[in-house]
Amino acid sequence: MKTSSTRRTIIKAAAGTAVGSILVPRAAWAQEAPLRLGFSMSRTGPLAVATVSQSNTYELWREQVNARGGMDVAGRKRKVEFVSYDDQSKPDQAVRVYEKLITDDKVDLLLAPWGTPFHIAIAPVLEKYRFPVVGNTAASVNVRKVKPGYIWFPTSAIPDRIGTELTAMLVENKVKTAAVIANVLPFTKEIKNFLEPELRKAGIEIRFTTEYPPDIKDMTSIVAQIKQAGVDAVLALSYPGDSILYARQAKELGVGSPFQFVAVGPSEPFFAKAVGNTAAEHIVTIAHWSPRPEWKGSQEFEQDYIRKFGQEPDYLNSALAWVSLQILEAAVSRNGLDKEKIRQFVSSETFDTINGKVKFDGVQNVITPTAFVQIQQQGIKLVWPKSIANGTYVPKSGW
Amino acid sequence: MGFLDILLSGQLLFAALVTGALYALVALGLNLVYGTMRVLNVAHGDLVMLGAYAAFYAFSMAGWSPLLAAPLIAAIGGLAGYALYTSVFRRLLDVGALNATRLEGNSLLLFFGISILVQNVAAAVFTPNNQGYQYLSEIHQLGTVSMTGNRIAALLIAGAACAAIAVFLGRSVSGLALRAVIERREAAYVVGVNVDRVQAMGFVLGCGAPALGGVLISMLEQCSPFSGFPFTIAGFIVIILGGLGNIGAGLAAALLLGAIETYGVALTSANLRSVLLYGVFVGSLLVFPRGIFLRRGRT
Repeated sequence: MKTSSTRRTIIKAAAGTAVGSILVPRAAWAQEAPLRLGFSMSRTGPLAVATVSQSNTYELWREQVNARGGMDVAGRKRKVEFVSYDDQSKPDQAVRVYEKLITDDKVDLLLAPWGTPFHIAIAPVLEKYRFPVVGNTAASVNVRKVKPGYIWFPTSAIPDRIGTELTAMLVENKVKTAAVIANVLPFTKEIKNFLEPELRKAGIEIRFTTEYPPDIKDMTSIVAQIKQAGVDAVLALSYPGDSILYARQAKELGVGSPFQFVAVGPSEPFFAKAVGNTAAEHIVTIAHWSPRPEWKGSQEFEQDYIRKFGQEPDYLNSALAWVSLQILEAAVSRNGLDKEKIRQFVSSETFDTINGKVKFDGVQNVITPTAFVQIQQQGIKLVWPKSIANGTYVPKSGW
Repeated sequence: MGFLDILLSGQLLFAALVTGALYALVALGLNLVYGTMRVLNVAHGDLVMLGAYAAFYAFSMAGWSPLLAAPLIAAIGGLAGYALYTSVFRRLLDVGALNATRLEGNSLLLFFGISILVQNVAAAVFTPNNQGYQYLSEIHQLGTVSMTGNRIAALLIAGAACAAIAVFLGRSVSGLALRAVIERREAAYVVGVNVDRVQAMGFVLGCGAPALGGVLISMLEQCSPFSGFPFTIAGFIVIILGGLGNIGAGLAAALLLGAIETYGVALTSANLRSVLLYGVFVGSLLVFPRGIFLRRGRT
C-alpha cells in the first residue's frame, strides 16, 4: 500500500506538471471545454436488467442539454460529456468507481448510480471528498440512516410510507380481507414488514401471507391458496420477473380479487407486453409520477423519451432520474461548480421538477407524497392520493 | 376447499409436469454432451437463453409463431453445436487421451468463462431488459384444472422431444452407438463405433435440445441475458440425481425434481425452494453418489 501510494504521488506530480504545461495555452478558450459528469451503472451482472430506464434517461438529458448549447454553469454554457463505468452490479465496485471519478478522472459533477445499496455505499465517499450527489433510484428506510449533507433522496416510495398509504387506500376502497405475498429482496420485504401491522391496525384481515425467493419459477401453489382465500385485495410485493409470473398465473387460475396491487414492474412498459393488456388492466402499482399538465415539462419528458427509445419511460425510475438532473441543473446554474455552494443550495431550496415541487429536509424529499398509479386503458394514471391524482381507482374485473 | 384439496388437485400435478418436462429436455442436452465427451458444459443454460431470445425476436419482429419457429431454432442450435464441435472440440478431444482427461477438468473453467462472456455479450446486444411476449395465453379448463395454452404446448412438445430422443437412443443404430460411447467409451472404439461421429451427434443434440427448451420457456416466462443460469443449475441437479451420462434415469430425475419443487413448495414455503432442491441434490450425492436411479449390474 505504502509503495503504491508513493508511486501514485510521483505519478500524480508528474502528471500534474504535464497537464499543467498542456493546459496553460488552452486557458484562453477554457469556457469551451466540456463539462465532465461521472457515474457508475450496473451494465453487467444481475441488476443490469433494472438500470436501463435510468441510464436511458441520463442519455436523453445529455442529448437535450447539448442540443440547447450545453449546461448553464453560472451563466456560461458548457457542453456535457459522461464518464461512466460499469459497477458489475456490485456496490463495492461502485465505491471504487466514485473514488476514481473524483480523484483520478477529476470529473466536474457526479450523477447517481442505480439502486438503494449503491446510493448507501457511495455516501461515505461523497462525505470524504465533500462532493454532493443528487440521488434518485434509492428507496429504503435505511436511507434515513445516511448522514445528511452530500446525498439526497427525492423518492417518496419509502417502504414505511408505502405501508401506511397503501392501507389508507385499501380502507378508502372498503377492502376487508387481503392476501400478502412478498419477494424476500430488501425493498419488498421491508414493505411487507411495515404493511402487515398497518393492515391489522386498520382491521383488514390477512387471510394468506407468504414470502418467496427471487428465483421463483412457478407460483401455482401460492396462487391457488390466494384464490382459495377469496380476498378483496391481493398485495403482491414482487420484483419485475415475479410480478409477471404472478399476473400470468393469477390469470390462469382466475383469481377474482378486485384490488390487485403488484409492487415493482407494472410501471415499466415491458409488463403489459409480457402479460397482455387485459391482464395488466387495473393493476395498481408504486409510482409517484405521471405526465400531468400541472407538472411543467412532464408531458414533454414522456414524449421525448418515447421518441428516442420507442417505449414509455418508467414512471418511477426514469422520472426520478430526470428529477435529480433538474435539481442538479438548477444548483449549477446558480452556483457554478462550487461544491459547497451546491450542497447548501440543494439542502435549502425548493425545486420545480417534472414531479412537482421537491424540497429536502436532511436526506429526504418532504413534499412529494407517497403515491400509487393504476394501469387504465393501456396508460398509467395516478390514483392515490387525491391531492395529485389524475385518475380514479377502478376495481379489476377480470384478467 | 381445503389445503389438502389444493394439494390433491390436478393443478399442482400439471405444474409439476410442465416444470419436470422442461427440466428433462434441458438436462438431456447437458447429459448427452457430458456423456459422450466428458465435457461439463456450465454454459448450457445460456443456450436456453439464446433459444428464448431467438423465439422472442422471431415472434416480435417477424410475427412467427414460436411453435413454427421451434424446429428451426432447434436446428440452428444443433448446427451451431456441430460447428462448435468440428471447429474446437474435435481437435481438443483428439490430441490424445492425456489431453482429453485434462479437458474434463478444464472444461468446467472453460465453459464458465464462455458463460460469462455469452451473458455479457447478450446484455450488450439484446440490452439487459427483460423481454417477453404473449402467445397461446387463452385458458383451457380440464375438470377443476385451468391451464394456459402455452403451458399445455410446452408440456406436449418437451415431452414429445424427450420421448423422440429416448426412442432414438434406444432403437436406432446411431442411438445405440451413442449409448455405447457413453457407457464404455474405449470398448465402443475397439468394436468399431465411429466415436467422432457419435461425439458430433452428441453435440448436435446437446445444443439443439436446450435451444428448443429455450423456445418453449420463452412462451412461459421472461428472458433476460441472465435467465439461463437457473437452468444450468437445474440441469446439473437432474443429471446428478439421474447419474451422469445416464439418459433414461435423467428423464425420471427431471420429473422428480419438478415434483419436489412444486409439492415441496406447497407443503413448506416458497422460501425453502432452494433448500429443498439443493438438499435433495447434496443428499443424493452423499447417499447415492452415482445417481439414485443407478442400474443394477453397472460398474
